[in-house]
Amino acid sequence: MTRQAHCQTVSLKVLNLNWKSHTPPVDSSSCPLPSLHSTLRRILRNCSTAATGSSLQPPDVPRLAETARISLTPIEVEEFTPKIRQVIDWFGQLQDVELQSVEPALRADTEAYNLREDTPETFENREAMVSGVPSYEEPYIKVPKVLSKE
Amino acid sequence: MLSTIQFPRSLSRFPLPLRPLQALSSSHRSATTSALTDQSPPSTSPSPSSSSSSSSSQILSIRHSLLSRELTATQVAESYLSRLRLVEPHLNSFLHVSDSVLREAQEIDDKLSRNEDIGPLAGVLVGVKDNICTADMPSTGGSRILENYRPPFDATAVKRVKALGGIVVGKTNLDEFGMGSTTEGSAYKVTSNPWDISRVPGGSSGGSAAAVSARQCAVSLGSDTGGSVRQPASFCGVVGLKPTYGRVSRYGLMAYASSLDVIGCFGSSVADAGILLGAISGHDRLDATSSDRGAPDFTAHFPPADAFGAKPLQGLRVGLIRETLDSGVDHGVTSTVQRAASHLEELGCTVKEVSLPSFSLGLPAYYILASSESSSNLSRYDGVRYGSQAAAEELNSLYGDSRARGFGAEVKMRILMGTYALSAGYYNAYYKRAQQVRTVIRKSFKAALDENDILISPAAPSAAYKIGEKKNDPLAMYAGDIMTVNVNLAGLPALVLPCGFVEGGPAGLPVGLQMIGAAFDEEKLLKVGHIFEQTLQGHRFVPPL
Repeated sequence: MTRQAHCQTVSLKVLNLNWKSHTPPVDSSSCPLPSLHSTLRRILRNCSTAATGSSLQPPDVPRLAETARISLTPIEVEEFTPKIRQVIDWFGQLQDVELQSVEPALRADTEAYNLREDTPETFENREAMVSGVPSYEEPYIKVPKVLSKE
Repeated sequence: MLSTIQFPRSLSRFPLPLRPLQALSSSHRSATTSALTDQSPPSTSPSPSSSSSSSSSQILSIRHSLLSRELTATQVAESYLSRLRLVEPHLNSFLHVSDSVLREAQEIDDKLSRNEDIGPLAGVLVGVKDNICTADMPSTGGSRILENYRPPFDATAVKRVKALGGIVVGKTNLDEFGMGSTTEGSAYKVTSNPWDISRVPGGSSGGSAAAVSARQCAVSLGSDTGGSVRQPASFCGVVGLKPTYGRVSRYGLMAYASSLDVIGCFGSSVADAGILLGAISGHDRLDATSSDRGAPDFTAHFPPADAFGAKPLQGLRVGLIRETLDSGVDHGVTSTVQRAASHLEELGCTVKEVSLPSFSLGLPAYYILASSESSSNLSRYDGVRYGSQAAAEELNSLYGDSRARGFGAEVKMRILMGTYALSAGYYNAYYKRAQQVRTVIRKSFKAALDENDILISPAAPSAAYKIGEKKNDPLAMYAGDIMTVNVNLAGLPALVLPCGFVEGGPAGLPVGLQMIGAAFDEEKLLKVGHIFEQTLQGHRFVPPL
């Protein structure tokens, strides 16, 4: 069994849900939910290089925060980084699933697409909307200057 | 005396078709006052006064009291409001309580005195989760970034409740923007579980679930993206109904994950949850994802228990999802759900185990999709057009600081995870794969529901845990959503109803059974749920608070 398949099987077993696989699970002991976290940590440490693959860089939290326009404090960066990495590693288990010919589903598709006319309508209570703007000077929504980045 | 009347949970024999309520109310008056003052925990043996220990519809009961002039809307409202105020310091279910409840009740009484028609929800006090917009009350989404924000419109679901005479009693507490499973993620307060105030009510619709459980209101609205109606329903011992995606308009629901979000209903009985769903369902041109299907009138679907035959569910095929009963699920939960399966068999169902092999993939797929979509949806909170704004010298800092101060830790982390998953070059690795898993899960549910009328499982792997227990451990908290997320991925309807207890707290902790139906088949779920509930002996789901 490849290392990736091993990791996938074990981490799925840790989540304690059956997965019909051709290879027998390596870890046959059951894991009660309270120790899920510690067991996951151990497996994810072992799996991390295999699961994330060569082209996916680990999350660079300060850079992500800049992209998402959230000013994180250094303490927040320190606190969030291990938690985010842990979750992204856990996301990585989808890399090992065979999905070659499966169509991606945009949403539940409980109905056929029924598109509506793309015509704008004026909202009936524009005054109330405008009064919610923090900084307004008729007819402008005010913002501070835009600095261009080097 | 009259002003403190509570509608007793044991008002089980709800007369349909109508018969005069006077006899009913007077015989129960002494029972109601003792129910109000009796703070002792409910026994798990059947109550002596009724042969069925579950109640029927609060909504229909209120309606009949009003139409028969037995009670006024003002009396009903005062009764709920005093209950609300009494327990609120212990529960913290509400972020805002309406100051116009009695005025609205008076309007209903005025209509009645003029013999005008009143709507089917007239006089019914409804709690509304604070991520659902209400124009005349603050709508914060449980976040500081929308502190004191008053939307310029009502959500369609709220509009419909009000049009039918419902009274919005207040806005209930939630995990910020719906992100969380405990309601500890609210920026404002932590809601307690009425069954044990040291425990969580579940989330993200914890306030709505707790309020109905503690009888602070008759019914409430919540939202369900990954289980946020069903899991708190289980933890609080109430009925939670998640409709099919597209059944209820999302207009006015603050978007978290647009392909997964739905508005759902809480009630203390299946009938109430169903009637509320009927009131808010139906096409809305303001929500392009809302279905063209009409809303069935669910009121007629709840016959009294004595109308059932010996085997009222004869021929119904029930599939018990095997993967939901593996180790990792609390033993007490497993045995309670297995007893529920036996109860269904007694009612005439055939119960078989079904396997959904892709089941375990739903959890990471869900979190990839939800965090990705939320990173996009929450980009609108930029401090420019509404909400809290930080002072800043230039635009990027305005965005960065407004959002840094306005968002809580869990929201920030999910936005960052979503930003990562959607980064250039990573789409194939994460988002697209999660979309593909969605297809696999959708197909496996469809196949299982071709062979079975409904599928059943626990609503959560455990009963309510202690406040603070999972706060710092995202993966441990996410693991608790395993029972519910697949249903959102497939867009299917699901009903959670209390089916038993496990040990814990002063009077035990409730456990909910989840029933999953085919797309748009809420009628079947409600019919089965109602019969299950009305025939369940030996339990009263009234918390000791």
